[in-house]
This record gives sequence, C-alpha cells and structure tokens, in this order.
Amino acid sequence: MLPTPFEFERASTIADAVSAVGQEGDGMFYSGGTELLLAMKMRVIHTERLVDIKGIPGLDRIVLNDANELEIGSRCTHMKIAGDSVIREHVPALASLCANVANVRVRSVGTIGGNLCFGEPHADPPTLLGALDARLVLQGPNGTRSVHADDFIRSELETVREPDELMIVIIFPRPTGPITYRRFKHGERPSVNVGMVWSMEAGAHSIKSARVRVGALGSRPQPLKAVEGVLKGLPVHDAHRAIQSVLAQALDELDVNEDRHGSADYKRHLAGVLLLRNAEEAVAMRGRAT
Amino acid sequence: MSSVRPDLIEKVTGRAEYITDLTVPDMLHGFVVRSPAVHARIASIDTSAARSMDGVVDVLIGEDVASFGCWGVVLKDRPIIAIDRVRYVGEPVAIVIAETIEIAENAAERVDVGYEELPRAATIQKAMADGAPLIHEHHENLQDFYFKGGAKPTQGSNIFHTYRNNVGDVDAAEAAAAYVHEDHFTFPAISHFAMEPHAVIADFKGDSLTVWAGAQTPTAVQKVLSRLFGLQLAKVRVIVPFVGGGFGGKASVKIEPLVAGASWKVQRPVRVAQSISDSMLTCRRLGAEVTIRTAVDAKGRILAKSAKLLLDGGAYSDTGSAVATKSANRIIGPYAVPNLRLEASAIYTNTVPGAAFRSIGGPQAVWAKESHMDNVAAAIGMDPAEFRLKNLAARGERTRPDLRALDMDMSELMGRVTQSFASESQASNRRSRGMAVAATDPANTPIANAIVRLKIDGSILVSVSSIEVGQGAHATMARIAAQTLKQPFSAVSTLRTDTAVAPYDWGTGASRSTVVVGLSVENAALDAADQILDMVVDVWELPKESLSLVEGGVSTGSEVLTFHQIFHRTLGVDSGEVVGRGAITPRSKKGALAESPLFWETSAGLAEIVVDEDTGEIHVPRYASAADVGRVIDRVAAEGQDEGAAAMGFGHALYEQLEFEDGQPVNATPIDYTIPRISDVPPVFDTILVENGDGPGPGGAKGMGEGAILPVAPAIANALFSAYGIRITDLPMTPEKVWRALQKRK
Repeated sequence: MLPTPFEFERASTIADAVSAVGQEGDGMFYSGGTELLLAMKMRVIHTERLVDIKGIPGLDRIVLNDANELEIGSRCTHMKIAGDSVIREHVPALASLCANVANVRVRSVGTIGGNLCFGEPHADPPTLLGALDARLVLQGPNGTRSVHADDFIRSELETVREPDELMIVIIFPRPTGPITYRRFKHGERPSVNVGMVWSMEAGAHSIKSARVRVGALGSRPQPLKAVEGVLKGLPVHDAHRAIQSVLAQALDELDVNEDRHGSADYKRHLAGVLLLRNAEEAVAMRGRAT
Repeated sequence: MSSVRPDLIEKVTGRAEYITDLTVPDMLHGFVVRSPAVHARIASIDTSAARSMDGVVDVLIGEDVASFGCWGVVLKDRPIIAIDRVRYVGEPVAIVIAETIEIAENAAERVDVGYEELPRAATIQKAMADGAPLIHEHHENLQDFYFKGGAKPTQGSNIFHTYRNNVGDVDAAEAAAAYVHEDHFTFPAISHFAMEPHAVIADFKGDSLTVWAGAQTPTAVQKVLSRLFGLQLAKVRVIVPFVGGGFGGKASVKIEPLVAGASWKVQRPVRVAQSISDSMLTCRRLGAEVTIRTAVDAKGRILAKSAKLLLDGGAYSDTGSAVATKSANRIIGPYAVPNLRLEASAIYTNTVPGAAFRSIGGPQAVWAKESHMDNVAAAIGMDPAEFRLKNLAARGERTRPDLRALDMDMSELMGRVTQSFASESQASNRRSRGMAVAATDPANTPIANAIVRLKIDGSILVSVSSIEVGQGAHATMARIAAQTLKQPFSAVSTLRTDTAVAPYDWGTGASRSTVVVGLSVENAALDAADQILDMVVDVWELPKESLSLVEGGVSTGSEVLTFHQIFHRTLGVDSGEVVGRGAITPRSKKGALAESPLFWETSAGLAEIVVDEDTGEIHVPRYASAADVGRVIDRVAAEGQDEGAAAMGFGHALYEQLEFEDGQPVNATPIDYTIPRISDVPPVFDTILVENGDGPGPGGAKGMGEGAILPVAPAIANALFSAYGIRITDLPMTPEKVWRALQKRK
C-alpha cells in the first residue's frame, strides 16, 4: 500500500525542523524512515507533513566529550555506529549490536534515534542504552531537556517525547568495565534481550556497580535489581555464581507479556539464559583484560 | 558467456520486464477492498463517497458481475468478487478503479461495507463438527478433474473432496502383524511468499480480452476467462512476462477473473498490483491433520499402512481436491507395502483459500510419513536407515498397482547422502543426524505443443506456453532445441509466453516442463530439421541418409551447405524459415507417456543438527540432498532448483506458519511472517543429482525442483528424536516448541 498524501519539508537547522513539525496539523520528523514509512504505508500512522532532518549538520556526530562521556548523534545510522572507531574502542558491544540490528537495508539508513523514538518493545538499542545509563537529549520549541533512557519509553510504541521535540543526541558515561549484550530472536525482531554493564573498582578485580536491563518482555526494558544488588562490590570471578543465586527471584520480578514471540515462562527463562551467558562473557573479558 | 541463461543477464541488468514494468495505453489502476470479516453476509456496500473522489472512474462490486455466475477449476464455487457473502478475511468485496494507484487506494478507504457476522468454521475440526456452518451450501462439480476418480465433494458438508485408495486387506494384515504403531501429525498453512506478489493487467475490448498475468498456467486462465465471460478461447489472450516466483501460488487461476471483471466494468485496461500482504491473503498451502498407522512383522517388514489425511482447503476449493488426492499418493513413499488404506479429504474452512504449492500434498504427507518411519523403527528397536532399506521398493517395483513402477533406486540416494557425510565420521555427542526420503508422483499431464522456427541465418525461435518463473525453463527449451538442431545455444531465442503465439500446453508446474514441453520442443526441432533436410534432398537430389545437421547448415558428407544457401536456392529468394511443430499427447511414443506418473520425483535428505538446549533453537550446520533427475540439462539451474526447494523446506521445518486465530490472520505480513534467510541455510550443503539418463524427457531427463523440499522437516525432526528422544508432531519446530519438549523429557 501507499501512504496517504503528505507534505515534505527539508530542514537545515534543528530550530527549523522543530518549528516545521510544530506548525498546524500533524508533522513528524523523518530520517531513515525504516519504521515510519512502513507504518505510513500500512496506514497505521497518518501524518500531514514529514520534516526531513537529514540535512541538519551535526546530528550524526560521534565523540568522546571532555566530561569523559560518549555522545552519539541521534541521526547516526546503525551502520555508522557499528563501524565507528570511537564506539568500537569504548563500547564494542554497542557496535556489534548495531551491526546486527534488523537487516542490512535497515542498518544502512535506519537511525538510532529513530529506533528509540518509535518505542518498539522488541528493539535492540533501548535495552543496552538503559544498561549504559544513557540520557537522551530532546530539543523542542522551549529549549532542551534530557530524559534518562529508562524513562524514555512510556508504553508500547509510545515515548515521553512531545511530537515537536527532536531527539538530538544520546549521551552516556564512558564505560570502565565489560559491556555485554545478547538477544534471542527467531524472526525479524528480538524476543528477549539482555544488556549488562559493569563498572569496575580500581584494580579491576571487583565490580563496583552493575546495571542490567532486560528488554522486549514488557513495553520497555526493565532493570534486574536483585542481580544489580548482588553484583555490587563482588569479585569478578564470583559474579556468575552470585547471579545464579538470585536469578529465580530476579526473573520472577520481571513483567513479561505473552505474545507472538513466545509464552511468558519461556521468555522469562530465556532472559536468565542470556544473562548467564552475558556474565560468562563479562568474566572472560575481565580475565583477558587483567 | 554464451552458455549463461539469457534471462539471468536480463534480470541482473534490470532489463527484464515483470507485470508492474508494463504500461498499457489508457490503463487504469484498481485497488481491492478486502473483507475484514471471517464469515459474514454483506448487508450493504456504499461506494458513493469513493466514486465522488476526483480521478475515481468506477467501483466494481459483486452485483455488477453476479450475472456471470461462479468460476472454478475443479468445483465452480467462486464468484468474480464477493456478491452477498464473504467467506474469509481478505476476500475481495470491491475494486476501486481510478486514474492512479494513489487515488484508487485513498478512495478504497471510503468504500463503506456493512457486514452481518455469520457462524464461522475456521479450522478443520470446526468445519467437520456436527452442525458446522456450511461454507458452501452445495457443490457444483465441473467434471474437469484430471486425476482418476474425479472430484468427490460430499453434499451438505464442508468436505469438498475425498479420495480413497485401498490395496489388499489392511485389517487382516494388522491382525497378523507383530507390531502396529499409529501416530498423528499436523502441518500448518504456509505462504508461498513469492518475491513478486500477484499482479494482473486486464483489457476487455468488446468480445475480446487480453490479460497480462504472472500466471503459471496461462491456458487454464484462458479457459476460465473464456467460460466465465462467454468469450471464444481465440479471443482471450494471456501474456506472461517474467514472473518473480510462483511455487504454485500463481498456478491454476487466481486474481485474473477479478481484474478482468474490473476491466469489463469500465471497458478500459485495469491493473491490479497486489502487495505481498495482499498475496498472503490470496492463497496459501493447505494445512493438514494426518493420522498414519503401520503394521510390521517380527522381522521389520511393513505389512500394511493406513493413512487418513484431512486438508484445510480454506474458503474456496481452487485445486485443493488435487492436493488431497496427491497427499494420499505421496504418503506411500518409496516403500513396498502390500496392504494400503489411504484416504484424504479436503475441507472448506473460513480462511484464505488453499492452493497448489511446490509438490502438492507432498510436504504434508512426507512430514508425517517419514517422522512416523523413525517412530516405528524405534518402537521395534531397529536402526531407521536399516528399517527403510528393508522396506524400499526396488527399481522396477510398484509401490501401488495403479502407479508406474519405480524408475530409480532409493537405496542409491540414501547411500549418496550418507557418503556425503562420510568425510566427517560419526556425529559428535552434541551433533545428531536424521534422514528422510520421498518418492512422489508428479501430475505431469503429457499434453504439450511447441513451435520451433529455423530462419535463413541459422537463428532459431522457440515458442512454448511454459512460463519463465526463475526456474530456467526458457533457457532449457532453447538448449533442447539447440542440441537437437546441432546449433549453438546462442542461436536460439525462446519467446516470452503469449497464448496468441504459443501453442497449447497444460501449464508450468508439477515438474513437467523439462520432460513434457521439452519433448515437444525436441519433436518440433526434429520436424524443422526434417524440413531443411527435405529441401536439400529435393533440390540437391541427395539421399537423406547422407545428410546431417552441422553448425550453420547441413553437411552432405562432402561439403557443408549453409542454411542461407539452402533457403535461397530452394525458395528462390534471400529469405525464409521452416516452422517445426511438435506435439506430445498421452498417445505419443506409443502410449508410453500415458501411465502416471511419467517419472518418479525422488529425494533423500540427511540433516545434521545442533540444538541449543537452553533455548531450544535448532541449527543445521550440514545438509545433503540427493535426487535422481535422469539427466541434467543445465547444471546451475538444476542445482539451484534443488537447493531452492531444500531452502524452502528449511522454512517449512523451522520458521513458517500462516497463523489464524478463529479465522483472523495473525501474521499475514512480511514483517511478522518469517522465512529463512541465506544465513539460515546450512553452511555445508551438498546437492547430489543422480544421472542415469533413464528419464522419459530429452536426453533421458526427468523433471525436478519439487523433491528436495520434502525430506527436510522430517530429517530434522528425526535428528531431534535420535539425539533427545523427543518427537515434534507439528510444524514449524520453533525454539519454544523444542525447549518445551526438552523440558517435558526432564
């Protein structure tokens, strides 16, 4: 099918784009269009105006900033992130996640910002970005605000972003320990995914703190608090056993939908499998590092 | 380069034309409004809002064409467009016809249809239950069923076909057996998922109709349209450009009557180009419920086999009757079984109509039969390969008295796939192997015609009704003509399919083109050769025995006369051609082609699997496929056909299922419906084509391309059974299903 008729504008600054979307009638930002155009063609999204942000300079920058944080422009394609030397050096798990998002056509034009803004529960980036403690910077008509990745997705296909707010950049502290991400999929989108990020104590033998997010089970990624708690301050080689000791309880606390990707008990089980595999990988990475 | 298929050059350079590349002058665009209801009476259709939109020319609805009545290929059960009732979600209820596709699609949203829900029967069980709502009140048999026994609908029920075939005395054999084992298997509906969805342009002009369609059986389309609209066959022209995949989903007749109806209404050319989602609501493979029982003696010899297959035919019969009959034949396998009780029924349900699909009824039957074989072997404590070998019918032996004797040796195919794995000794603990075999009886229908024209410059035109759907039929026909006439392949062109030019053929499917159409091309080429030689005999006054065709002309033994010299001197002008005609009928070759099947389409598959026990995911690192194809004509195309069929088999085995919830399609979009990608195909894949030159086709060829799909699912299931003792009885073998089975075992 074809989308219903719409106007098309190209913005060259963020302010222009924001004001173009905010004009009368429904406007939407457009970049890769891999989710948006599909939804428009299926006629589940109607918009009167698409505002193309691809001509806005600076939205596809990737840098390590002076505050020792990584900044990823919202308009970076998955392919760009996958191949970026800064990301590959500091967050290899994110590079590899982006190298495996969806399919090659999506990766080459689809953007990380677009992926987040779509609010699809069965997506890869939100889970790892939540674990990376990322904040998402939105710019609207009244200035910018920053939203924590954990708080960004409100419910299935719905985010806290206002229609005339443009996500401009994703920022997270440069990780100091192993970052792991795994997903299970049998089809186009992940059924379950798990991201885990460890911050290390000086000397790198103990975990200072851990962030664990499980995605695709509910409307948005969920933390595994019990696992995060048990890992805090723990020597690396005790991590796997410690996770196992609290795993059942931690998994029970997850909110799990039953959907086409599987029944609740199966997907809950998979989350545990992926988490333990992440833990093994993280321990092995630490082993190599020391 | 000269031997590269010309159609592939056209495709990779983007020159190849498909329906949607064509524009017919004055052409309008149709967009189909589809039923959202599973089973409902159409209470009202208001098209006024749509009609009032700029650029909308007309809207076709059922009452416009109700007077033409219904059409069908076996049973006459289908209106051109829903008249007063819809029987499945996706059934066309209106076509908005407009100047552009955009206008048509926007106006389609304004067609207001009122539905009154009717009781539904969306599964086989519900359709066969007492008091089930009748999806069709009566069954009108066209008496046009090409298998023995005819179509057998059961009036007053949703059963639109039942086929039975009994041999010997199953009850007595079971009573005497050492062991009797019964299993039940199910098989889901599966989408054809051709890359090119259905697309048709129809141009009604007074008493003539031209249709451009991606149709596998152009002459069937011609016949149905001729009878439906009361047109002479000679006034109905079907043109088939390149087709982007069919797999049976474009066989018989699909949306051609619908688009022709739209063109009839406006008396202008109308194009309907469906999306892949539309095509997923147009047809699909028949799902099945299979009960199979085998009786064996104390030595493991099969004494009797009985099978009951119920096939979910969807809302309209299409060729579901043929699918059912074939499923009963194909569940026998390459085994010698003295007593058989076979029954297959096709059932109407309120779901997308079932249709032919690569090896009709084959995957359903072989899934059950070959999984069952390993179960029986395990039950009697015999190695499954040994159990098969013990019970194989030998070459020349019949598997059923009314079917041609086996023309191949299945133990050879089993040996070849096993050898293929021999380089790596036994499967490790984590890896396990499973095998399955199949012997199917293609409905080859030995009826075809061909025209081969040899021109003065030595160039050759081949004209056949076979379509080029990616399988390489046109290049194969060119190769057969080139070989027969001893001319280079590059001298031969095969015309795109056009019923106004090409002579009658039954259709492209059932692995028949290489054999049946190929033989007619061979005959036509021989006829052309004869005419050329006769010219030389006449004009040069030489004995025919001394003459032979050579590249570019005729050798007399002492010199070579060019075609140019022959035509010029014989006709007295510097131009001309000979027109060779070849026909194949059941009477050809002294009736040798009449017995069914013309050849056996056979396949053996050996799969090695690795299971992720934590997730239930099955990986297939290695697969070997063997088929007896008689003789390979184009190796790349032949291997491609075999590998493509197996890859489709991986989809059936592990991924695919067109799901319905109480008749409502759940995943009929390319996002939600998963087919295997190239990365899902086993990294080590051995394709073995056995050539003994003993087929009925040109050079001893047999047909192929449908066999390799058959063993994949049961081979994988058997590997799973062998490693873990778990038996999956319904497809696809999703990770969750496997994980649950593994859990249950613990």
